[in-house]
Amino acid sequence: MTDPIAAVRSAFPDAVRASAVYRQTPILTLQAADLLAVGRFLRDTPELGYDLLSDLTVVDRLRLPQAQDEARFAGIYQLRSVARGGDLLQLTVPLPGGDAPVAPSVTGLWPTADWHEREAFDLFGVRYEGHPDLRRILMPDDWPTHPLRKDQPLGGERVPYTNTWAEEEFQHLGKQIMQTDQRPEPVPGRMDARHMIVNMGPQHPATHGVLRLIVELDGERIIGIQPDIGYLHSGFEKQGENIRYKDFVYYTDRMDYVSAMQNNLAYCLAVEKLLGIEAPPRAQAIRVIVCELQRIASHLVWLATHTLDVGGTGLALLMYAFREREEILDLFEMVCGARLTTSYLRVGGVSHDLPPAFIPRLRDLLARLPGRFDEYERMLSGSPLWRGRLMGIGKITAAQAIAWGVTGPLLRGAGVPYDLRKAQPYCGYEQYDFSIPVQSEGDSYARYLVRMAEMRQSLRIIQQAVDALPAGHFWIDDPKIAPPARGLLDQSMEALIHHFKLFTEGFRPPPGQAYHGIEASKGEMGVFLVSDGSAHPYRCRVRTPSFVNLQVTELMAKGHLFSDLVTVIGTIDIVLGDVDR
Amino acid sequence: MGLETHLSNSGVVTTTLESMVNWSRKNSVWPLLFGLACCAIEMITTGSARHDIARFGSELFRGSPRQADLMIVAGRVSNKMAPVIKRLYDQMAEPKWVIAMGICASAGGPFNNYAIVQGVDKIIPVDVYVPGCPPRPEALLYALTQLQAKIGREHLTDHLVTPPILQLPPAPALPRLPE
Repeated sequence: MTDPIAAVRSAFPDAVRASAVYRQTPILTLQAADLLAVGRFLRDTPELGYDLLSDLTVVDRLRLPQAQDEARFAGIYQLRSVARGGDLLQLTVPLPGGDAPVAPSVTGLWPTADWHEREAFDLFGVRYEGHPDLRRILMPDDWPTHPLRKDQPLGGERVPYTNTWAEEEFQHLGKQIMQTDQRPEPVPGRMDARHMIVNMGPQHPATHGVLRLIVELDGERIIGIQPDIGYLHSGFEKQGENIRYKDFVYYTDRMDYVSAMQNNLAYCLAVEKLLGIEAPPRAQAIRVIVCELQRIASHLVWLATHTLDVGGTGLALLMYAFREREEILDLFEMVCGARLTTSYLRVGGVSHDLPPAFIPRLRDLLARLPGRFDEYERMLSGSPLWRGRLMGIGKITAAQAIAWGVTGPLLRGAGVPYDLRKAQPYCGYEQYDFSIPVQSEGDSYARYLVRMAEMRQSLRIIQQAVDALPAGHFWIDDPKIAPPARGLLDQSMEALIHHFKLFTEGFRPPPGQAYHGIEASKGEMGVFLVSDGSAHPYRCRVRTPSFVNLQVTELMAKGHLFSDLVTVIGTIDIVLGDVDR
Repeated sequence: MGLETHLSNSGVVTTTLESMVNWSRKNSVWPLLFGLACCAIEMITTGSARHDIARFGSELFRGSPRQADLMIVAGRVSNKMAPVIKRLYDQMAEPKWVIAMGICASAGGPFNNYAIVQGVDKIIPVDVYVPGCPPRPEALLYALTQLQAKIGREHLTDHLVTPPILQLPPAPALPRLPE
């Protein structure tokens, strides 16, 4: 395996300002002027082949004591090589320009940088030179500030704890009606006003949430699409930087809210990487079980809504898929008491051990599910309506998918056997025997086949994990990270002190940074954390699969009929909480 | 006795217009097909087979605000989304009701930050608040029955749109007589 640091150092002796390997991830610090040349070298050299830009973000180092240079902002680029099994390389680029930073745009090298750079411009005010369409993406166009800068407050309202109805604050409740803005929308840039321009969303039954699409039509044919997102932007990253590490686990549920367990896992693994710890074997196996159950539940939601949009079965499959999903949610309720926003995983383990009744009930479900999947396939695979509306619609090639940073079933449906569970195993996935379903056609039907096969593979993994469930602790045995057992609190003063310290102060990871990506149900879900040694993350960045995958809507829908746009949105499988964060 | 004893023999029931209108309104509350965040998934679940919102006459989720009676605000309301919600509410025909589903729609929830409006009641009036993050489907069903009870107590005049009062120009001041 080629060492990327040595390769870059020998090819560009002057460009590298520093290099390090931190927690197994090679990190290169480059000058902004050399970013494009080095990026091209890293992408095009065959033995390096960093063709997938996983994540692009910015860190504002205004209050970071460990900053090694004077530049306030630094661009962070997470590169992966699909051909070399998802090998990760991090580029750190201090940005010149002080409070008005400027960076070269890498959209020419990795087209997926388009939305990432718009997001960095929106939230940090970094100006990317050479970006084709640099404007706000998440916040409203007239928003006054760049909210993720460190000199911007968290915002929000102070909540009074005691109040009476007589207070002035309540007098206007229900009466303070805002005037809606009546200005006509201007025609978006790059669109031709002589064509028909149709607005779809943010309230539309087929957009799966508050997505807005501006569609340019020639008759019924789609010429161009501009997604307008941010209607559910909730400031997760800023929120994460203002609370303690362990408290952000509860927020992660609410990003991709149909796969809460996997969000928890991505975050917990990133914190564990930062701390340099690993969860005990039993916790790892429990995590695998619940995350694979969550993958099935998430794919069932996709199947239900996709069939509802596209037609062929009417409401029937929605009812069937939600029936099975309810059984999975019942299992979640058994382990943690919640159905949807589970917050079951913790840094260093899981919050409770599996209850005794869980395993028999899970085995019962495992025995029944394959028959149910067969039933769905009997309803859909032979249906001329289903095949007619999916086959050949929303095609994407492997090269396009990688260039646009697309991961998950979309990439595997385009013929690339890339799955982080195999490529960069975590939680002991290397122990389980499963295959990566791949289809080469790259259309919506191929993705349907991939997702159906993935659900069966998940069943296989769960079966193996249940059969070989290790005994032992379900949470790491370190009182600095996991609270002591309840029984100990009555006997040991030390345990009581640990408990008190943990819940009042939290834990403090050493200064450093860590990125960890997992294979969530929709693609790579990654969390990037920068620690300054305090109990709060200095920078908390979440790379969500839906945000990246949604970028290819235009590519996939161009030239198709307007009605096929619904198929394309459905097949990408987005969750707007995951897109907007 | 009175008239009703004679009428009941011939299959006629007497009631007031108000209670008849309320009875029909409260048993066919059609929600707007519109979800924001996590709560929307539980809202869909409420419509699916196990919980079956059709038992309460509210299974017809309408895609157009013109056909909907009830807006279930299911999720957090961002600053970017708030004007859209306001417009959707304005587009619904009277009589209309609002359920704020979950803590985010009720009061901002865990997101007390720059992006989220601290409760949808800052922009539209709310009839029923449902606690929970997200509320279970049973909680939403309970909120719906509470709303039905509220509709049952309404008066016909509650939803009358009062015509704008004709504003006459002020009468010219009379010249004061010399004393």
